[in-house]
Parts: sequence; C-alpha cells; structure tokens
Amino acid sequence: MAAMFSQNPLMNGPNYSFNDAPRTAAPEGARQHRFDPYTDNGGSTLAIAGADFTIMAGDTRLTSGYSINSRYHPKLFKIGGTTADQKDATIVLSVVGFAADGEALKERLDAICKMYRYRHGKPMSVKACAQRLSTILYQKRFFPYYVYAILGGLDEEGKGAVYSYDPVGSYEREQCRAGGAAASLIMPFLDNQVNFKNQYEPGSGVGHALQERERKPLTRSEGEVLVKDAFDGAVERHIEVGDGLQMMVITKDGIEEVLLPLKKD
Amino acid sequence: MPGFDFSNYNRNAALHARGVPLPKATSTGTTIVGCIYDGGVVIAADTRATSGPIVADKNCEKLHFIAPNIWCAGAGTAADTEFTTALISSQLELHSLSTGRKPRVVTCMTMLKQHLFRYQGHIGAYLVVAGVDPTGTHLFTVHAHGSTDKLPYVTMGSGSLAAMSVFETQWKPQLNKEEAMKLCSQAIEAGIWNDLGSGSNVDLAVITPEKTTLHRGFVKPNERTQKLKSYKFKRGTTAVLNEKVIKKEEMGNYISVVELAEETPASGDKMEVDT
Amino acid sequence: MFMARSEYDRGINTFSPEGRLFQVEYSLEAIKLGSTAIGVATSEGVILGVEKRVTSTLLETSSVEKIVEIDRHIGTAMSGLQADARSMIEHARVECQSHAFNYNEKLRVESCTQAICDLALRFGESADGEESIMSRPFGVALLIAGYDEDGPSLYHAEPSGTFYRYDAKAIGSGSEGAQAELQNEYHKSLTLEDAETLVLKTLKQVMEEKLDAKNVQLASVTKDKGFRIYTDEEMAAVVARLPAN
Repeated sequence: MAAMFSQNPLMNGPNYSFNDAPRTAAPEGARQHRFDPYTDNGGSTLAIAGADFTIMAGDTRLTSGYSINSRYHPKLFKIGGTTADQKDATIVLSVVGFAADGEALKERLDAICKMYRYRHGKPMSVKACAQRLSTILYQKRFFPYYVYAILGGLDEEGKGAVYSYDPVGSYEREQCRAGGAAASLIMPFLDNQVNFKNQYEPGSGVGHALQERERKPLTRSEGEVLVKDAFDGAVERHIEVGDGLQMMVITKDGIEEVLLPLKKD
Repeated sequence: MPGFDFSNYNRNAALHARGVPLPKATSTGTTIVGCIYDGGVVIAADTRATSGPIVADKNCEKLHFIAPNIWCAGAGTAADTEFTTALISSQLELHSLSTGRKPRVVTCMTMLKQHLFRYQGHIGAYLVVAGVDPTGTHLFTVHAHGSTDKLPYVTMGSGSLAAMSVFETQWKPQLNKEEAMKLCSQAIEAGIWNDLGSGSNVDLAVITPEKTTLHRGFVKPNERTQKLKSYKFKRGTTAVLNEKVIKKEEMGNYISVVELAEETPASGDKMEVDT
Repeated sequence: MFMARSEYDRGINTFSPEGRLFQVEYSLEAIKLGSTAIGVATSEGVILGVEKRVTSTLLETSSVEKIVEIDRHIGTAMSGLQADARSMIEHARVECQSHAFNYNEKLRVESCTQAICDLALRFGESADGEESIMSRPFGVALLIAGYDEDGPSLYHAEPSGTFYRYDAKAIGSGSEGAQAELQNEYHKSLTLEDAETLVLKTLKQVMEEKLDAKNVQLASVTKDKGFRIYTDEEMAAVVARLPAN
C-alpha cells in the first residue's frame, strides 16, 4: 500500500531518462496534446501513535523542480474544529505530494466535518473521519488528489490513532507512518525504532530460536526525539526536505504545535 | 575513437525504445562560479552531488586540477566532468612537454570544446575554466555541446541563476583578491541556499601568476547537527543464523597473504558515523 | 371576484390568507384514517406495535407489513397510505447505508428521522420550471424507533416534515384514545416486557376488531438484538400474557 505512484519516475522529480523516452509512433502529422495538472511539491511527513497521544510532523519546505517556492508552507492541518483558528480541533490531517490538491483536500474534509457536526450534533470521531477521507479520495479514482495523506487523532478509547492513505483512498490504521519524498528514508528507521523490527534480544537463543526484542509503548518525549532525529537525517540526504519542522502532538487536552528549525541548504 | 566502448549501443537503444529507462547517472546539480580580479582569478563551487532527489555525496570536490596554473569547476554528469578534465589535463601536460611551454588557458579551453563538440552534448560536462598563463589571466565557460564564453565573471549549473544574481548586484571592475573571494563565496552560498541541486560547503581556488591556492571547505555553513539520541545497539541485537570462525593462521588456506612492512594510513575523507 | 376556500386547497405550495397549507392539513387527516400504531420507549429498548386490520378472512395476514426495518438498529411503524411509506423507508435505508459507507458508523436515529423529514418536505419542490418530483405531500406518518450511542429513542415524523421525540406515541385512527391511555400508564421505569403489554393493552382498547395474535404485530429495538419483528410464537406469548376482560 501507499506505493502506487512512488515507482513512477514521472512523479519522482528530475529524471532525464524517462522524459527522453521515445514516444510511441503517431500517424503522420498527428500531434499529441497533454494535460499536466500535477506538480510534485516535495517534502515529507511523519506520524507516530502512542498510548494516549499521537505525534504528527512534516517539514515546511515547498519545492518545484530545483526551486524552493516557500520555506514555510505547512503540511499539517487541524480538522473539524468549530472556530476559524481550529483551537478546539481534535484531528490532524497531514498531506504531502501536490500542495494544491492537499490544500483542496483539507478544505473539503474540514467542510465535511463541520457539516457532520451540524447534521448529527456531535463531533466526528477519528474512525468516522478516516472512513470519510477514504471515500473522498476514491471518488476521484480516475483524476486523483495527488497526495499521500495521514490522519491522526485519538480513538474512542483515548488511544493514539494514525491512519495512512494512498492517493486513491486505500487506508490502514497503523502505529507509525512516514509519507512523501523522504518516506523511503524515514520508514525503515521507524520500523526499527518504533516497532523494533530486526532487533533481537541478545543471547535469548540460537539461530531461529532467537527472541525478537519486545515492543513497548513509546513515551511522548521518546516519540518527539525520534521525529526530530528522523527529519534531521532526511534533511541530510533528501534535497526536497528542509527549512522547518512542524510538529503537532494530539492529547486529550488538545493539540500542541511546535515549530523547529531544519537545515536550509 | 579510442576510449569509449560502443559495443552495447544497439542493444541499449533497442531496450530504450521498449521503455527500459537509462541508468541514472550521478548528476552534480551544482553551483559553480568564476571571477577575475586584479592580479588573478577565483573559481568556486558547492560540494553537493545528487542522484535524482537524493544527496549522493555531501562533500564532493568539483574543483578539478588541469595544470598547476589552470583549474576547472565542473557541473553536469559527475563522471563526465571528472573524466573530461582528467583527459584534457593529461593531453595538456603532453602538449606542454612537447612544446616546452607552460600550458595556456585558451589551449585548454579549445581542447575541451573540441572534445565535447565531437560528442554532440552526450558528454554532459559543463565547465568553468580559469587560469593564469604567460598571456594573462583568463576565465571561460564551456558547455556540453561545445560552445564557450569568455567573461569577467561567470556562473554555471542549476544554481547559476542564484549565483549570477549576486554577481549582477555586487560585481564591480577592479576587485582585489579578498573582494573577489568574498563575492565568489557569496555567489556559491546563494546557490547553496536557494537551489536544491546545490548544498553543503563552498570550495574555492585562487589562481595568481605565482601560485594556486585551493581552499577546500572555504565556508562550511551546513555542519551536520548532533542526533538527540544514541542509536548504539546492544551487542547481539542482530540475528545470526550460523557462524563460522576462520583463524588468522588459517587464512592462508583461502587467500594468499602477504605481510606488509609498514601500515600505510588510509587516505581520503573518513566516513561520517553516528556514535 | 369569486374567492372560495377551495381556491386554496388545490395548490400544494400556496398558503391560504389565514396562513394555512390545506393539502398538508388534509394529509394529516389521511393518517387519522389509518390503522393505529403505537411506540413505547423504555431504558432497555423501544417497542413498536400496530394493528393489522384484517378486513377479510381471505386476507393473508402475513402480507400486511406495517412495521419494517430501516437498518439493523432502526425500525419503523406506519399509519396512513402505506405506498407512500415505501418511498420514505427506501430513502431512509439508502441514507443509513450511505452513512455507514462514508463514516464506518451507524446513523443516529435523530439523523435518520431528519433525513426522512427532509424527503417529506420535498412536495412542491420544482426548480427552474422543471417537473416536480412529488405531486402531493405524503399521506403517512411514521413512528421511528432506534438504538444508537445515546441509547434507545422513539420519533414521530409527519407529512409536514416536522418530527418530535416521544417516550410513548400513538398514531392513526385510534390515536386519540390510545395517546390518553399511554399518558396515564407510561412511566420511566417500564421494562421492555411492561412496554409489550402496554402497547397491546392500548391497542386492544382502541381496536374495532377483537385483538388476537394474528391481527396485531410487535417489534422491538434493543442494544443487543437491534431491530426485530416478533415471531408468531412470541406474539402468541405476549397476547396470552394480556389480562383478559
């Protein structure tokens, strides 16, 4: 999942070889006109669910090609609050990919959340919001929102919830997920540090009898450290990631937002 | 033409026509600049090498030696700039030996453009050529297709527009050495900050009639930040399915061992490792 | 100029000078001709009951459907023009499925009632000279019973598009007498079993025919079992429990 477009060189930024690929033969004098409505605006996002919190994060750089369009363009949005400043919101949506589509998707989901509150007299749960986001994305199956979305909040039991999506609405609840340009750099780090993948208990057995390192829930500060280190690493090796790190921590008391600097080269 | 092997050309063209993409070359999406001053010439470059959107090398060298008094800054396909400058360097040395004269910058530039023109742009080398020879101080640019320019200040690479913006606002005739170095360094920094293809440090070379001074890491505004956590694993964390120990004494059974008299220290940059 | 009241009782979207919509008022009359339907809400769940009006001995009683399922957690009893109820129920069912599809959760009973009333209000709707969808208001009222995150609830929806929530409500021809009876008998601590008896007892009082297990129908909505229409055996058991008089 979530790899639908990642293998498409057209959407992976500068890549001379694919663009130079010969076109299939067209009849004499025929000219093909193409509609290119998408741009990859780079950047990366990340979400980790804890026992009673969810951390959402994203860098704030907006790129096209080799240019920086903005050094502060947020990818994290509070969803479903009752006021313009979303101060009572409980759900966060992160979008990465094509920024205009991300913005449109955020507006749409937020409007739907507001309508839901009016119609049903209650705020939308993350579970309901997650399902609705999926149907929104699938409704545009043949002209997709070119975004990798992650939805974060607290479930009915107050546990951290992270839902990740591919551009056409396939989704899954997960413990953690990285999205966007540096997803392939960050995700293996998260697998290893959050879910302790490929880590075994030293001396617990021989060969296949070796015991896997037991998973234990992350504390909030441990999670925040991982997020910062993940982005510091991504900034070093991915040209489209940098400038600022926007981080939102969702707890029962609300959403705390932090902005930290990243390298700007 | 000696040097290049075209035996796979037809096979690769057929594969390409069926949609197999070409292998991705490491491209130094780069900022390189050069500027003449009263008494010499300065060239500078950033140190980022990229492969697509990935940083392949955070501290690569883009300033190439041609002759003691001629240096080249290269942008484009890393291998092409590397090999083209090395090739011309060696040819220029032979030329200098057979003529018994010091090599000239125009000669270097002419050899480069003729070589690149012959390959019709397929050798993706974009170069800034600078040097001081008995005829004076010179600064050129050479494009992959073979065209050249001769100017008092030049920029090339993906960050050329960012760098040129600095020259166009700050440059003036009759700069001294320090001013020229500062200007070039600022031009590269403009590329480092504003062009995604450029990054990390500024390398800079000053060429005067007397000597060439290479300032590797002239400015280092992008030192890596310290990680907040230690990612050291406990010994034994990685699963080992089976193990076989070969003692040093038994090594001769598998390979031929020659004892060296003295250990030579490893050269080159040390790899950065997390602690 | 000739100005009789009949001038105003034709158009479905024309107020009379006194501010009345006669067609809507007439539709409420149509309900008063319908069979009696009763709903009683308790803390355990909601009971719906209807009389079947078996007008002929040749009538197959099982074909009289006056209580139907909308979703697993919502059911409805009707009184009035049954055919009209079909399209309302169809609409409500679609609305419930759509909500579950879009939000992965059950539609609330109030929201479902609101959706039905939205449809009920679409008489006279014709924009830009297009043909209107409905020629007249619905001639049926619904008792909507359900169980959601706020517990059990009972709603009454009218053709005018208004709805109210009730603890106990009777509609149809015997509604006046039945409502008075419910008013006397209802209390908050009724059990589901008490409610079954209360519904049947009240129906019995207002029915013209003699109540038996064949000419009435019961249904319940509870947390565990959702909406359920009583089987013949269950009906017989409840009827047997009624005090004879």
